[in-house]
Amino acid sequence: MAKTILIVDDSASLRQVVSIALKGAGYDVIEACDGKDALTKLDGRKIHLIISDVNMPNMDGIAFLKAARQLAAYKFTPVVMLTTEASADKKAEGQAAGARAWVVKPFQPAQMLAAVSKLIQP
Amino acid sequence: MNLDEALKTFVIESRELLEGMEDALLRIEQSPGDADLINAVFRAAHTIKGSAGLFGLDPVVEFTHNAENVLARARAGELPINAEFVALFLEVCDHMRTLVDRVANGGDFDVEVSDRSHELVVRLQAFSPAGIPAEQKPMLPSSSPDVVAETADEASTETGDWHISLRFGRSVLKNGMDPLAFLRYLTTFGTIVRIVTLFDDLPETDAFDAEECYLGFEISYRTDADKAAIEGAFEFVRDDAQIRILPPHSKISEYVDFIQSMSPDEIKLGEILIRCGTLTQNELDTALRTQAEEEAAGEAHHPIGEVLVAQRTVSPAVVDAALQKQKALKENRGGDSSMIRVNADKLDEHINLIGELIIASAGIDLSAIKSGIPELLEAASVMKRLVENVRDSALQLRMVQIGATFNKFQRVVRDVSKEIGKEIRLEISGAETELDKTVIEKISDPLTHLVRNSMDHGIESADVRLARGKPAYGTLRLNAYHDSGSIVIEVSDDGGGLNRERILAKAIERGLVKPDELPSDDDVYNLIFEPGFSTAEQINNLSGRGVGMDVVRRNIKDLRGSIDIETTAGQGSTMRIRLPLTLAIIDGFLVGVGNSSFIVPLEMVVECVELTQEEVDASHGRQHLNLRGEVLPFIRLKELFDLPDVPPPAENEDDDDDFGLGNADGTRDEGTSTANARYEVDEELAFLLQPVKRENVVVVTYAGKRAGLVVDELLGEHQTVIRPLGAVFNGMEGISGFTILGTGRVALILDVPGLVRRVASDDVRKNRAPSTHRG
Amino acid sequence: MENRITSPGGTPAFAVEGEFTIFSAAALKPEIVAAVRNAAGQAVEIDLAQVSEIDSAGLQLMALAKREAAAAGRDLSFVRPSAAVLDVLALCDLASFFDVPASSDNGDPRPAQRDPS
Repeated sequence: MAKTILIVDDSASLRQVVSIALKGAGYDVIEACDGKDALTKLDGRKIHLIISDVNMPNMDGIAFLKAARQLAAYKFTPVVMLTTEASADKKAEGQAAGARAWVVKPFQPAQMLAAVSKLIQP
Repeated sequence: MNLDEALKTFVIESRELLEGMEDALLRIEQSPGDADLINAVFRAAHTIKGSAGLFGLDPVVEFTHNAENVLARARAGELPINAEFVALFLEVCDHMRTLVDRVANGGDFDVEVSDRSHELVVRLQAFSPAGIPAEQKPMLPSSSPDVVAETADEASTETGDWHISLRFGRSVLKNGMDPLAFLRYLTTFGTIVRIVTLFDDLPETDAFDAEECYLGFEISYRTDADKAAIEGAFEFVRDDAQIRILPPHSKISEYVDFIQSMSPDEIKLGEILIRCGTLTQNELDTALRTQAEEEAAGEAHHPIGEVLVAQRTVSPAVVDAALQKQKALKENRGGDSSMIRVNADKLDEHINLIGELIIASAGIDLSAIKSGIPELLEAASVMKRLVENVRDSALQLRMVQIGATFNKFQRVVRDVSKEIGKEIRLEISGAETELDKTVIEKISDPLTHLVRNSMDHGIESADVRLARGKPAYGTLRLNAYHDSGSIVIEVSDDGGGLNRERILAKAIERGLVKPDELPSDDDVYNLIFEPGFSTAEQINNLSGRGVGMDVVRRNIKDLRGSIDIETTAGQGSTMRIRLPLTLAIIDGFLVGVGNSSFIVPLEMVVECVELTQEEVDASHGRQHLNLRGEVLPFIRLKELFDLPDVPPPAENEDDDDDFGLGNADGTRDEGTSTANARYEVDEELAFLLQPVKRENVVVVTYAGKRAGLVVDELLGEHQTVIRPLGAVFNGMEGISGFTILGTGRVALILDVPGLVRRVASDDVRKNRAPSTHRG
Repeated sequence: MENRITSPGGTPAFAVEGEFTIFSAAALKPEIVAAVRNAAGQAVEIDLAQVSEIDSAGLQLMALAKREAAAAGRDLSFVRPSAAVLDVLALCDLASFFDVPASSDNGDPRPAQRDPS
């Protein structure tokens, strides 16, 4: 059974491209448009990896990560945060919340696949 | 889903983001301290850059990156958010829009575009002179020590393989990282020749925390990749693990340093290295001997970390310094998580189908009534109600708030006021008022013209304003609200108001008004909507540009709407546009005149009264009716449309049958609550009147004015799917469209605004009837 | 990820089922330790046939169990490793360390399952 990845980003086109790349690599993909939406996807199903943008409306990536870590089923789920070079402050917050994997925007689909495959394999 | 579709999504979402960016920029000038606003601007740039990168749209990425850097500094409070900032970023926003347009048109980034990008980048950099903010360097590590290429004069190890030594930190598992995953990743671009898994750090059973990591690995690894690639595999654990990567043929002294750094038990580690095949026994001996010699010589151990290990952490001090707590988690345009994007064409198709459904349902209703089968009648009535509900909810789907359209004018007002050298503020109210998307799209241009017209001709120059005791800055107001089935959009200014004398003079000069005529105020003001009419003393490049007020009025009429002016000399003017809420389907009131059927939009029907012979006599041909003491002008549709006076009896019977039955559907006790009260009256009247064939008056209202329409029969409510008139009938007086009845017959839809205006203006002229709303 | 003590074939055994990962490690540790310490006989078997996923946390627990058994003087064996387990042992070159046959075909009638979910 393919492993499942949740991608959280407010850009629909980014989600689409990442989703195409990940599905091509053999993962199942679930999409969410912000942290709040993403939390609704954390309904107990097995998610092997979460990719989340930091800067999003409604609930940003840091708050989402903190909330996700409160849920037993996602307490240790690997998380890749999407960030820009300019958000060193956010990165510090993210690290405090337990995020270790970062991919700098903008990125190519191949870069995302490489980052994902360091953490899980399909 | 393919990449092309994703690219389309990119274009759509980028345009939306840019709209939001512009909106935020325009508001930020008033409230520069609003973190939400600058954050919204930043996020727009950020998101567009991020997505553009995925599509390899380098010109977009590069340009946006520069903008984002400056925005990041502004967001951190390092740069002032002032008028200059806003002006620059409005240009940046425009240029980003150009870039997105180019993407939409196939990604043709020509010299013109790149020159403009360059120009703006230079200005962005000038705006943010101190350079880039505290920035995380991109992840690629600095080049590794030069050990690989160099032929050592010192003894090198024999092995052609890399040696990787890993000691994972306690917290890696809790942070969602599995050391085994990194090892697997290594196998994707090389081979693990030998691996020794170390459980030495496993604590005593009681102290063993199953969620902590105690693992270590010594790996002999063969690959063609370079050191950076190997380091890259451990990128995410760089801060949480000790990682040593020794290139092939490393010097023995480097292993010495390595061994010293790793373990208190050097010999054991040495043995592991031998087991890994990294070191031969001989090499280990040399290493240990070297170490002993160094110690004997009292030399300090080399600091190893930075030489061998790629540990590029952000210094916590730097991070702390850069740390700016951002509260704003929520964004004012919230709730978009529950939105789905639907192609407008699909929606239109849906609405069209519902139109067909309504017609079909009316047919079924009629057949059911004819059949007289109670079950069928019941079922048809339930279905009709459901169809009505479906219609309402479908129309609701197309309703959008006018706020977004209004907000576009922030930019227009800002730009135009700079251009014409007047300080003008825009106030918006009623932004949440909803109307049909089709209407919104079509109203944007006329609205733009009205706004420009008000700014240009309405609002006076600062000198004049001050002389008149007004604030130096002018105020333009956009307002919207719902009023009896219409949406009203007002463009008001606090300028000088329309000058009756000047307009009249001009109109006489142009031959629009005869010199001896004495038109009412409304008539004079409406003259500005006549083709080619302009009173501006100087035509500037705004108002002189093509579109005139006559085009504005025509556009609005095309939408079955109307425009009126209310003005007070010295105090300002209000242009009031009235539009139907929707263009597709209305609740109609069906009336019969002779052989023909007409639809009156139900929302404009006030009541129906009987036109008695006495009243006809009393009016003495003056087309006025005394309605409870009020003078009500009326129109005989029969005369207006030149219909045969007495319908042929057979046809008539037929009609009676059809519409009498249609009328009977009004006996439903639910569903049409909006019109129930009126309806009961109508029905009684209809029953009373039908055999006698007396005339009825449908009292309609529009824009505060009333008029009576004289008809033969009142046939009840009818859901009306509006079909546009063909070219032949377009512009036909008094008719705005047609519809198809359940019987398959055609009914014309009356242009009530036109009819009311026609009789009511007579009314005003002849009777000076009070008109509270002159709109 | 359900883990329970079962006793197939008379040998005191503990079976790890489902995820043998960080998500289940905290709950599994005391059970595994107890199974090893409290085993009635000399031989202790841990059945890994139903392990769908194993990560570093699971691997550490195997090492802990092995050390615990050694300290208690018992013979611990990991039996019927699933494909996921074998995969990890091969990756880390630990098959011989845990004395697990390199193939899952060790006479087990039940095939190893990758993912029972």
